[in-house]
Order: sequence, then C-alpha cells, then structure tokens
Amino acid sequence: MRQSRQRTPALRRGLCLGVATCALLTGLPAAAAGLLDRAPAIPAAAPDTLAPIEVRDLHYGDVLFEFYNGDLSNALLKLRVYEAQGLLRHHADDAKLLLGGLYLSQGQHLEAGRLFAEVLDRPGVPPVVRDRARFLLGKVWYQRGYYAKAEQVLRQTGNTLAPEWAAERQQWLAQALLQQGKFDEAITLLSAWDAPSEWRGYAGFNLGVALIRAGRLEDGLRQLEVVGNLAGEREETAALRDKAWLAAGSALLKAGEAERARLAFEHVRLDGPFSTRALLATGWAYSALGQTDRALVPWLELQGHSVLDAAVQESYLAVPQAYSQLGADAQAAEQYEAALQAFAAEKVHLAESITALRQGRLMQMVSGNEGQALEGWLWHVRQLPDLPESRYLPHLLASHDFQEALKNYRSMLATEQHLDAADRGLDAFREMVALRRDRFARWLPPVLAKTDLVDLQKLHERATGLAATLGVAQTERDGTAFATPREHAVWAKLMKMEATFAARPGDPDLVDAREDHRLLKGVMQWNLSAAMKSRAFRAQRGLNETQDALVLSERARLHVNEARELSPARYADYELRINTLQPRLLAMQGRLRAARMTEERFLSLLAVRELEAEQARLADYEVRARYALAAIYDRAGAGKRP
Amino acid sequence: MPETFQALDTQVQDLKQDVLDLNRDLFMLEEELLFPANTQMAVFLSMDVSSFFQLDSVQLRLDDKQVANYLYTEREVDGLNRGGVQRLYLGNVKFGQHELVAFFTGKGPQDREYRRGATITFRKGEGAKFLELRVSDKQRALQPEFVIKEWE
Repeated sequence: MRQSRQRTPALRRGLCLGVATCALLTGLPAAAAGLLDRAPAIPAAAPDTLAPIEVRDLHYGDVLFEFYNGDLSNALLKLRVYEAQGLLRHHADDAKLLLGGLYLSQGQHLEAGRLFAEVLDRPGVPPVVRDRARFLLGKVWYQRGYYAKAEQVLRQTGNTLAPEWAAERQQWLAQALLQQGKFDEAITLLSAWDAPSEWRGYAGFNLGVALIRAGRLEDGLRQLEVVGNLAGEREETAALRDKAWLAAGSALLKAGEAERARLAFEHVRLDGPFSTRALLATGWAYSALGQTDRALVPWLELQGHSVLDAAVQESYLAVPQAYSQLGADAQAAEQYEAALQAFAAEKVHLAESITALRQGRLMQMVSGNEGQALEGWLWHVRQLPDLPESRYLPHLLASHDFQEALKNYRSMLATEQHLDAADRGLDAFREMVALRRDRFARWLPPVLAKTDLVDLQKLHERATGLAATLGVAQTERDGTAFATPREHAVWAKLMKMEATFAARPGDPDLVDAREDHRLLKGVMQWNLSAAMKSRAFRAQRGLNETQDALVLSERARLHVNEARELSPARYADYELRINTLQPRLLAMQGRLRAARMTEERFLSLLAVRELEAEQARLADYEVRARYALAAIYDRAGAGKRP
Repeated sequence: MPETFQALDTQVQDLKQDVLDLNRDLFMLEEELLFPANTQMAVFLSMDVSSFFQLDSVQLRLDDKQVANYLYTEREVDGLNRGGVQRLYLGNVKFGQHELVAFFTGKGPQDREYRRGATITFRKGEGAKFLELRVSDKQRALQPEFVIKEWE
C-alpha cells in the first residue's frame, strides 16, 4: 500500500516504535503484577527512544487502536492477520516488537522470548525498549518457574530501566539465583546492590537467606536482624520484619542456639501472617532450653487457631507431650484425646475434599464461578464457593504452579468456546459460498447474452469516425456540420434553388427570387456560423461522454469475462480453504480438549497431592498421639498396680 | 501426563500458538468472504494532536446512505490521540464513482458544540479502497481541520 500524500512527521504524536512499544511494555505486564498505576510514564520524546515516525500503514494504526483500548486479544489477532496480508510493510520491526509484547500479555512467554531475541538487538531498537522487554520477560519467566531463563534475560537487561523497575529487576534476579541454589552469586549481587529504601528490606532478607544457606550463619543473621529492625508502619514492612525474625530464629534453632532463637521469635507479632509458626517455634525453643512449662504457653495459645494450619496441628501433639514431660499425664491424655478428635474431623474433611477433587469439582469451582470472562492473564480467584473443599483452596492457590496451571486451564476453556463458535461460522461460510456460486450461475447467462448482442468494436469505430468528422468541421469552420435537422432541410432547399438559378442564368423572371435567395442564404450562413462554437462544444462533450461510456462498457465486459473465468476458481478456492480449515479446527478442538483435560488432571493431581500430604501428616500425628496416649495409659495402669 | 508444570506449560504454549494460527486463517477467510478485495472499502479515522477539538461522534454517509454512526468513549479518544487509527467502517462498494460524507461532532474551541463535515468523491477500482478521515489542528486558524484522504 502506498500513501497518496505526505505527512509532517512532527505532527504525528506518539507513533514511534519506542513509544508505542514502551506503552505496551509499560502497561501490560505491569498490570499483571498489579502495578499499572505505579508503572513509570514514558516521555514521548525521550532522548533514548526512536525519533517519532509516522504511521505509514493504516492497519498498523488499527492494531495500535485496539491495543490502546485494552483489547489485547483483538490487537494480537489483527496484527497477525495484517502481517500475513502484507499490510504492515512499513512497520515490520515495530510489528514484531509489538507482537512480542502482546504475546507476553497473553501468557505466550516462550513465543515472546523468541521474538524479543530476534528483534531486541537490532540497531534501531532503543535501549529503553530493549531493557523493558527483557525485564518483563524475565519477570514472567521467573513467575512461571523458568529460573535459568529468567536469570539469563534479567542479566542482559541494561541500566535504562526506571529506578522502580531497576530495583525490581535486581530482586527477581536475586530470587532466580536463590531458586537455582546459586547462593554465592546471589550474595555477590545483593551485597553490591545499593537498593532504594522500599526494596532494601527485601534485598536484605534475600541476602540474609543466601548467606545462611551458603553456611555463613552469623553474617546471615546480621542481615536478617537489620531487616527485622526496619522502621515503617505499613503492613508489608511489618510482615517483612516478622519474616526476617522467623527466618533468623529458625536458623538459630537449627544451629542449636535455642535462647537466641527464642529471642528472635519474640519479635514476631502475634497477629501477623507468621504468628502461628513463630508461636510453635517459640515453644520448641523453650523446650530445647528445658523450660517445658514455658513452652506450653505459646502452644496452648495456638490451639485457638484453625486446625488447617500445620503449626496448629503440630501444637496438638506438642501440648500433651509437654504435659506428659511435666508429669501431668491426666491433662496430657485429655489433650491427646482432643487432638485425636480434631485430627479425625479434619481427616473426614480431607477425604471428602480429595473425593471431590477426583470427581472434577475443583475445576467447577475455579472455572468461572464468578461470572468473569475466562480469558485474561490477570484473573484471580476472588470468591470461593461454600463447599467443604473450598477451605483448602486458598492454600492450594498459594502454590505458584497451581496458579499458573490454572491460568492455562481457563485460557484453554475460553479458546474452546471460541473455536466452537468458529466451527458454526465455518458452516455458515460454506453455505454462503454455495449460495454465491448458485446466484452466479443464474446471473451469468443472461448477462452474457446481453453483452454478446452489443458489438463494442463497431461502437468504438463509430465514435472514432464521429470524432474525425467533428475535427474536420471544426477545422473548416463548417457551420452546416452542426445544423439542426430543420436547418438542414432549409439549407437543402436553398441549395436546390441555387441549382435552379444556375440552370437558368439571365432569366428576368428570377431576378427578385435570386435576390431573396441571396439574402436568405446569407442569413442562414450567419446563423449557422454564430451557433457553431457552442454547438461544436456540445458535440465534443457528447462525444467525450460517449467515449467514456464505451470505456466503462469495455471494463464492464472485462469484469464479466474475468468473473466468468475466475469466479469458479475463486469459489473452489473458498471451498478448499473451508474444507481445509474444518478438519484443522476439529483437530484443534480435540487437542484443546485433551490438553485441557491433562491440565485438569494436573491441577487435580497437584491439589490431591497437597491434600494427601496433609492427610499423611495428620495420620502421622494421629499415630504419634495414639502411641503417646497408649503409653500414658500404660504408665497409669502400671502405677495403679501395687 | 507431564509431571511438572513447565513440561505441561511448554505443550500448552505450542498448542496456543497453533490456535493463534488457526484463528488468523479463520479471520482472513471470513474477511475475504464478506469483503472481497474487488469490492472492499474501509474507512479509518485518525487524529493528530487535537487541542481544538474533542471528538464525540462520527457519522458516515456513503452515497447518501448512513453506513456508520460511532460514539466515542474517553478511552477510545485517548487511543486515537496516542496514535491509534480506528477502522471505522468496512464494507463493500461497486466499481466506479462514489461519494463519502463524514460528519464530526464534539467540542470545539472554547468548549463549544462543534459539528463539521468533510466530503470526498472517489473512484472504486480493482483493489480494496482505503480512506482516512483525519482530524488535526489548524494552528493558524486556531481551529480543527477535518480532511478525508485517499490511500492507494
């Protein structure tokens, strides 16, 4: 496509590869992380973006319009269609970059990664676009568990990111290293990082964990202590402080430093997300110090919490064990009985939930119970149905694999619905082609019959002859050539009279008549001469119109001939495409269904595994409780014997 | 069945890519069937920096028949201002001469109600015909300018 006029590039705002793609890369995955409002704005004329360029393909602008309106699926579809139709010739690189961003927004991170790898290192790509693309890709790869890939791409990210994203990039990179067990590399990275204040806590925590895992306990503890003493009233900061003290205490307890561990656990709030684990651990710290009576305080506190919590379950055993150590067997037995009851009730719930999961109820719960659109990468479960198995879902959803697999599942469900609609559409297309073929078959014969009656060649020749006559008349200024029929009749009479006069020269009877004839002929010539200019103009215009009409007739005949020759092939091509697409579509529906069922089984498997692990833990606790209870009864029995 | 999320995810990604290919082919078939190139015409709307006009709606009349009447949301106007080009109308016309009239309504300078028209006479030839309605600022007159451009 060629544009028929030039634009002033400076007037075309925002239409540069840099800006458009930055907008994409700013908006989408930031939204995925719930950071849309915090995403840094991209200045339209930033020095490190490409110079503004005009949209040179209207269809590229159309894709941008869909994108800016948030219809990302449609933007992706149109971009691929227009690309295939050759309508984006002036924006090949822009389109690839945009496509990569759109793939990323739709969860197609592998394809996005492939495209970015192809395009990002090209000289025309501004560093800011390159870095953003790599940052966002790295983040998605980390979130989906591709730690090595995440590390690689995050390491390639340059230093043009906005400070907020630059900090986040360090954070993701550090976590990718930790996940791969590369503690020394994580330590090097985090030690050298002068993190901005809002990230300092996370950086310190990760560094502390990395140091401890690398065997440098005291160094790690120092880091965690710094994090544990961070100032700030926000819940996020308070939770991070709790997490740091819990991690420090756990490391100390593991190292046999029970008193220091206890002091660390004491910093954890009683109403925070880590309170139950801290209470349990505090009890164990006291127990390790030989202060069993003190251990009972946090453990008894735990028993007011939900039995779903692993720390609470463990406390059900720890409390009677402590009573037993303190010689209070009766209370211990009572506690063991209570524990067995709680475990039994929970086991029933678990068994019911596992059955429900195996029957596919999990998928019913999470596949659209909120009336939300199935598509969208940003979907989250917000409300859980009131079912026995619902109580375990938040626990399951906390698992990363489960969440990501669930997104895949919902996306496939939406695609299946879309393909079902497309299948019905194909039937309609088939019918449409058949109707057109039929109508064409009925339309063609009468049209051909009509066109056969007209000899366009002869008409052309006549028009050419008329043009020549007109030309001669104009050159010779022959007014009679443009005379009306009445004028022609009068002129003919005058000519006839002139012949009579010529045959009778000198006849005295004709003197007056000759004079009259001379006057009349003169008037006639004058009138014809006066009218000639306008008549010649009208004649020329009429001739031009005739010639235009003949050209149109010629074109129409060519169209008819073309239609006669090409239409059957065109209909056959449509039918062939429909016939090819239909089995592809059917196969795709089958593949999708199979993949969705695999995904469903995978999700159920994850869920069942999780609940079975819970079941196994409870069974273990139950055995231990029964064994301990039996031991108490044995001791009691033995004590009664004299 | 794949035991890890990544193994399954890779399979799903491949499948989704095939679905995207299929969707593209279906879309192209549909468009070619409904709007064959020899009769297809599309009208696009673009806005260059528009300080003097806030677009509310556009009405299109093709050969004296209304073919589109579009009311814009703030987000859509923002999309246009950021460089998006809307495909406002896609339809079929016969070979030959046609007239397109576009009426733009919105807020003009000093926040006044503003309604302007633009007309173009064009010839539909063999290939698809693309027209662009373009709203821009006429700096010297401190007024918006509405033009229709023909693309070949």
